[in-house]
Amino acid sequence: MPNLHDLRGTLSSQGALICFNGPFTHGIIEELGKAVRKYLEIEEVQKSALMDVFSVYIEATQNVSNYVTRDQWTADERLRLNAGIIVIGHEGDHYVVQSGNPVQAPDAELLRQRLDRLGALDKPGLKALYKEQMRSKRGPDGGAGLGLIEMARKASAPLEYSLVPDQAGLTFFSLKVIV
Amino acid sequence: MTEPSLDIMDIPATVSSPQVRADPGQGLICLAGESYPENTFEFYRPITEWLAAFLQRDERPLTLEIRLTYLNTSSVKCLIDLLDELEEAHHAGRRVALNWYYDLEDDRAMELAEEFKEDLTLPFAIIPLQRQG
Repeated sequence: MPNLHDLRGTLSSQGALICFNGPFTHGIIEELGKAVRKYLEIEEVQKSALMDVFSVYIEATQNVSNYVTRDQWTADERLRLNAGIIVIGHEGDHYVVQSGNPVQAPDAELLRQRLDRLGALDKPGLKALYKEQMRSKRGPDGGAGLGLIEMARKASAPLEYSLVPDQAGLTFFSLKVIV
Repeated sequence: MTEPSLDIMDIPATVSSPQVRADPGQGLICLAGESYPENTFEFYRPITEWLAAFLQRDERPLTLEIRLTYLNTSSVKCLIDLLDELEEAHHAGRRVALNWYYDLEDDRAMELAEEFKEDLTLPFAIIPLQRQG
């Protein structure tokens, strides 16, 4: 087991304010979301900035939970995939939302393509893509595409991501959104 | 041959889903609160169905009142379906309107309303609300 004092020290020294590691449920997403808002209200963050952070938090966590609850998984796969992590913190003057979860290799490739495409777009380009996607029919991914675009639109810098294959044959996807 | 009139729909709000009130007598559908439900499409389906049924059975005007403080992207998609339905009715000569209320201090909420409005021609009012208390 990790030494909690050290773990907490590591998280704090790197600006983490709120974090959760484990299976995401809708109830957890709601409760943690309340905590995020409460925290930002206490810090007297402007309403629009608060809503940007909250919105990125919701899209990031719901993307993970929508992925885990896809119909195609077996019970065993679902168990292995339902292991997310979310960290909300500070970096300089900005709030940062980071999320991570294991994905299957073909989905990792899809994420890479999508995120690279988003990275090449400026704000008007992102808006145009958002408008196009919001009218498109629901795909097999349940709309994760729109969530990524929304996060890119709220971000003050291009989305950063990494994809790291693990020994179990899955790829760990992590996403960093600087608001 | 007239179909039975529609029932009043009244769904209480939760942390992540809005209160929904639809009243055929008033010709009003109102969504108020937060919108990021667990199963967004299931949540919005009865609302879309109610709206479609009203437009089909009733000839009176219809107003959609939006008092949503937050919408996730899945809710945005569902709302588009509702608005497309209203827009179609508007083109067919029906009296329909959309009143979108937002918190004066929340620029993002206003921007979202304006983005919706860009693609519509029906009467669409964006109305700022003073913070209560």
